[in-house]
Amino acid sequence: MVPIMWKVSSGLFLGWSLGANDTANVFGTGVATGAVTYRTAVCLTAGFVLLGAFLEGPKCMNIVGALSRIGTLDAFVCALAAAVTMTVLTFLGLPASTSHAIVGAVTGIGILSGSADFEKLYLIVICWVLTPVGGIVAAYLLQRLLSYVLDLSVPSLTLRNLIYSAGIIISGCYAAYSLGGNNVANVTGVYVSAGMLSVQDATLLGGLSIAAGTLTYSRKVMLSVGKGIVALDPFSAMVAVLAEAVTLHVFTQLGVPVSSSQAVVGAVVGVGLVGDSRTVSASMLVRIGAGWISTPVAAGLIAVLLVKLHGAITGGMRFF
Amino acid sequence: MLKQLFVGARREQAVIEEIKKHIVLLCSACEKFEHALREGDRNLMRLVPEMEREGDAIRRRIISLIYEGAFLPYLRPNLCRFVEVVDAVFDLLQETAQHYLNITLPEQLLGESARVAHLNHRMCEMLLYTFETTMEGRDLREKALAVRIYEKKIDDIKVGILKDARKIPIASFWEGESLSQFLSGLTNISNVIEDATDSLQIINVSMR
Repeated sequence: MVPIMWKVSSGLFLGWSLGANDTANVFGTGVATGAVTYRTAVCLTAGFVLLGAFLEGPKCMNIVGALSRIGTLDAFVCALAAAVTMTVLTFLGLPASTSHAIVGAVTGIGILSGSADFEKLYLIVICWVLTPVGGIVAAYLLQRLLSYVLDLSVPSLTLRNLIYSAGIIISGCYAAYSLGGNNVANVTGVYVSAGMLSVQDATLLGGLSIAAGTLTYSRKVMLSVGKGIVALDPFSAMVAVLAEAVTLHVFTQLGVPVSSSQAVVGAVVGVGLVGDSRTVSASMLVRIGAGWISTPVAAGLIAVLLVKLHGAITGGMRFF
Repeated sequence: MLKQLFVGARREQAVIEEIKKHIVLLCSACEKFEHALREGDRNLMRLVPEMEREGDAIRRRIISLIYEGAFLPYLRPNLCRFVEVVDAVFDLLQETAQHYLNITLPEQLLGESARVAHLNHRMCEMLLYTFETTMEGRDLREKALAVRIYEKKIDDIKVGILKDARKIPIASFWEGESLSQFLSGLTNISNVIEDATDSLQIINVSMR
């Protein structure tokens, strides 16, 4: 058991980074609008991420490992490279994507060993492109539909206040559930492909590591996402998170882990488009976009570098 | 926030009731001011500062209730601003009443001043309706328009009052100062009530 724990430690580190970074996508807008306190947000996120990982996580578990042939050492290195990339971007306050990081790392290893499956990579990249688009469309439609229904049926300010409060919490919980279901594969999927963990163990360990990251290191990005992109009112915050949750849930059913950061930024843009496109801060979007491109490239390079370094130290011998 | 979901909207309802009480008290103070002015009843006018103190206590209670967790934090500053503006109306009314107690209002200014006091009273009543309309989520446009019309009427009357006031012989600096402050306060109350209506419109729009 101890050797396995050592080998999956990089995955647990990656899960922790994911939790620290992506909790912002779940309750960032809710915390920024003051609808929910930071402490409540992280506790709810941790619980629902675990639930989502356990119930829906297996659906996405195989696709990451299918990108290239992965051995025990490769799995360890991929997760470590992705985790280092995520931690650096989290430290810089950028909502980076674990999906991009792990895919970048696995592809880097695949290119090095000549086993990269580019057809699968193209499929994943198409899903990456469709994720923000899905977020925009879902948010736009939900914003239109829900505002119409609320205007028609809930005029009272007190009742609206209650609905928004409940809505932000419920949509946040749903988003946390979808995050767990979709993104747990990023954390421990490579270990399943390497035959080191069973799917059940992978979802449990991955879910726990994400929850740990959520509980310990998510404040900085949470405030960056919540306040930096667009000034959100409670209704828009609720719709943005709901749209993100729906987008992630759809991609979970397709078996492709995607970026919750892309989904929520798309959703926030969709919400902004309903009001006025000028409310969206272009500089912030460019900054986040730069993070998306740099994430897979950086993770891939770090993975290759780690393998080369390991080879140089051991003279080509593999300890794992 | 989670706790709030389980106890429902009780805190919010308490805030709304207190704000209504605050505005009703303001209406009552304006009514007393108007009657005291018309009848030259100084004892009745002395009740206005007392009502202002009562209004202060209600304002403090409302702010406490809001910051104990009523309403989303997003809405709280706007609600507090509204309560502060209503309190500013109380303050101005109290100052105007105190200036009145320092002077003998000249006969030629009494009629128009009483008209302004009456319109101030009507504006306060309209503010109460506007507040209720906001809480029910209905359209505010008609109420806001009515407030603006009242305000315009008072502005028109103000021109006449100031014209008449210039003709009044003043015996001492302080007599003139008090009369000037009284007239300024009386005709500015409507501006502050209009500000309160604007605050309600912001509250209404922010929750759409």
